[in-house]
Amino acid sequence: MTTKTYDGSAATQEMETEHHYEELDKIWLEERSLTNSLAQPLRGLLGFFLSFGFFMALWYVTMDPRGILQWYTPMYGYMYIRWLLIVAIWQAYIFNFWPFKQKWMEETHPLVKGPIMIGINWAITGAIIWIGFFWLIGKYSIPYFSWPELHKVGMTDFFAREYAGLAVLMVAAIASWLAPIWPMAFENYPWHKLTQPAKGFTVLSLTSLLTIFVYFIFMHPHYMVLFYPWQKFAAAMPWWYESAKTLSGNYNVGWIMCGTIAVWLIETIWERYPFRLIKSQPWRGLAGFAWVLFVALIMFNTFNLMQDLAWGPAYEGGKRLYAPDWRYLHSGELAVMMLLPALVLYFYFDNWPKKFSTEVNLAIRTIIVVVGTFAFNFIYYQISPPLLGTQPGYSHPQQFPMAPVILWIVIMLYHNWFMDGWPGKRIKKDK
Amino acid sequence: MAEDFSRRSFIKGASLGVAAGYFAAAGLSSTALYKQVMPAEKLNQTDIGEVKALRMKVISETSWYDNNVLLNDLKGAGGLLVNQYTIPWTSNGVAAGYNGNNAGGFATYIEADLMDGSTKRILLDTGWNPAWMEKRFIEEGVAEKLAKKQIDYWIISHEHFDHYWGLEATLKYNPNQDVYVPKGFYTEGFDLLKGKAFPKAQVKNDFPHKGKVHVMDSSKVNPLFPGAALMTFDMPIICRVFGEQAFVFNVKDKGIVLVTGCCHMGIITYMETVRKKIKGGEKIYAVQGGLHISPFEDWDPQYDDLILALNKYGIQKIGANHCTGFIAVEKMISAKLPVVTGTKRNMTKRDIYLGNGDTLAV
Repeated sequence: MTTKTYDGSAATQEMETEHHYEELDKIWLEERSLTNSLAQPLRGLLGFFLSFGFFMALWYVTMDPRGILQWYTPMYGYMYIRWLLIVAIWQAYIFNFWPFKQKWMEETHPLVKGPIMIGINWAITGAIIWIGFFWLIGKYSIPYFSWPELHKVGMTDFFAREYAGLAVLMVAAIASWLAPIWPMAFENYPWHKLTQPAKGFTVLSLTSLLTIFVYFIFMHPHYMVLFYPWQKFAAAMPWWYESAKTLSGNYNVGWIMCGTIAVWLIETIWERYPFRLIKSQPWRGLAGFAWVLFVALIMFNTFNLMQDLAWGPAYEGGKRLYAPDWRYLHSGELAVMMLLPALVLYFYFDNWPKKFSTEVNLAIRTIIVVVGTFAFNFIYYQISPPLLGTQPGYSHPQQFPMAPVILWIVIMLYHNWFMDGWPGKRIKKDK
Repeated sequence: MAEDFSRRSFIKGASLGVAAGYFAAAGLSSTALYKQVMPAEKLNQTDIGEVKALRMKVISETSWYDNNVLLNDLKGAGGLLVNQYTIPWTSNGVAAGYNGNNAGGFATYIEADLMDGSTKRILLDTGWNPAWMEKRFIEEGVAEKLAKKQIDYWIISHEHFDHYWGLEATLKYNPNQDVYVPKGFYTEGFDLLKGKAFPKAQVKNDFPHKGKVHVMDSSKVNPLFPGAALMTFDMPIICRVFGEQAFVFNVKDKGIVLVTGCCHMGIITYMETVRKKIKGGEKIYAVQGGLHISPFEDWDPQYDDLILALNKYGIQKIGANHCTGFIAVEKMISAKLPVVTGTKRNMTKRDIYLGNGDTLAV
């Protein structure tokens, strides 16, 4: 993260008003110094269209219903997309690119290290899904985590794959909310002094443990009612029913997605403001976590309200646009649509502006992202059917805008985390 | 000390800000403030008149015979978003099928007795497999009525293969029959009507349509005759289909009767729309047809929401079949909903459905 300012030494104390806090731990992405190879807006546009082009190619090969592998059925393909994302976060934020040395990362050409990193990303994703979930957990513990096991116990092959896909992707969705909070808000406290891979495995273990708790409380009850008859001995009745007016776990999916997006809005366009003003850990981390929750709930409630205003209230038992659970899910989808312009601004347009006070910079970026969200939302629903092979309309039980949008985000992460934003940017060799 | 003060101040300020902000936002979307922000509900009810009586005979609710075969066709083609005209559907070797063909079809024949003593005859949909549909049309006297031009309205609920592709069974007997389709039909649907074949999907029409085609608008209630109207719902549906229309009848001294093909819009959404747009729409007497809850015997917690909510509408009769799903009907029976059972014949698999050859009279 090159946009933040740091201190940490006595020599910079006099700059207290500018440099607010001591950071315990920095990942390589924060220390990496990039220089622009091209001037703006050419560099931004080049990066934007490059990432879009690769996204379209990958979408066509893997997901598009008219394409080659046709995995967007939709849960099966969406499952892979969510795991590509969390594995990329682990690679960059939790393991700090271990086992690769910083020197190697700095000196290796993006066209060499990019494919290696992406290859690792894909291999880990495949291993987790097929070995970890389908074979290990699904076979020896909970069948709904496994496509083959669900099929074996009598479910049609198609829905076995879809149900297992939903369960497996939800683990990744929760992990992608919780995992980055530790390096981002807590700066890996209290393990900041550990070296890799000990630090990575420690933070991974902790965030995975939290993910398991959150999954079983907020998602497992969904599976109590998903099967017939209700699995009342294996899972609790969805406890959110009275307040959410739905038994569906989409209620939780919605706000958890908002939480995930809140993390990345805070990390990118908001520069960890305002909790970075707290000087020491763990208070900074706790405040950061509270801030994430706060922003998530504001987003969730606001998006729910906007939908009610646009389409009228949902009905209990309604379907499509009027299904309460779809409304919650769509709030999560709208949040994801908000992240896209934020990352475009952050990665490709240098997180503009930077010349004003922090508060003004953040306010202007927020306005840009909100406007960008509305623009992207409008464009998405106009052009996605011919472009992505989806169907027109907002609510369709077999399609989720989250999937293509997150895949594009994954491509942006590959481009900027694994390949230094090449060719628009390159690492400063004289650093 | 300064650090402690800063931390305390921040936590205090942040806590207050977070709490105030959250309750403001939560309040906006839930309680008193929500009502201030949301516009009041507007009813725009159309008086469609009344019919004296109604009889709905299920010609065929068995759209396909083996769920696994159908789902494997869909999975092999690339999932539920794939264009139905490009899917190589299994048409032989299915043990449970009709002459080995997994394709069946959906169609309902409706007679409405008007207040003036006359009767209107309606054919809703035309199935999938022309051989099966023709057999059922002959057995139930629909073929004869088509040939004698006694069918007043031929309504296509939506463009799905199992409701529309058996059109040869209708057009063979009367190619001049006017047809009413919902807004949202794709070009392929109109081309098929005109006689185009789609070999990959094994669908053709050797009896090109010569009657009028009425495309029904989704922005308003579409009255057919006194006591009957069609309502069209805009929405994307699996296999790249868009839009569905369904019937609203107002039966004297009984109330509203809803007759559907598949009800992809959802029965609750359908009833809520009728409540807002049809005079007397708050009193739903009966619902008949496919309710599209668990068509593949799959499940989703959203479907439980629907079953739980259905009990609040005071429906007197539910004649469910086709895409409703056996699981859904079992749950309706458990929830003590007034399910009208059938006779389990003509290839209908269970008597909890209003099955092939069964009639619901109101």
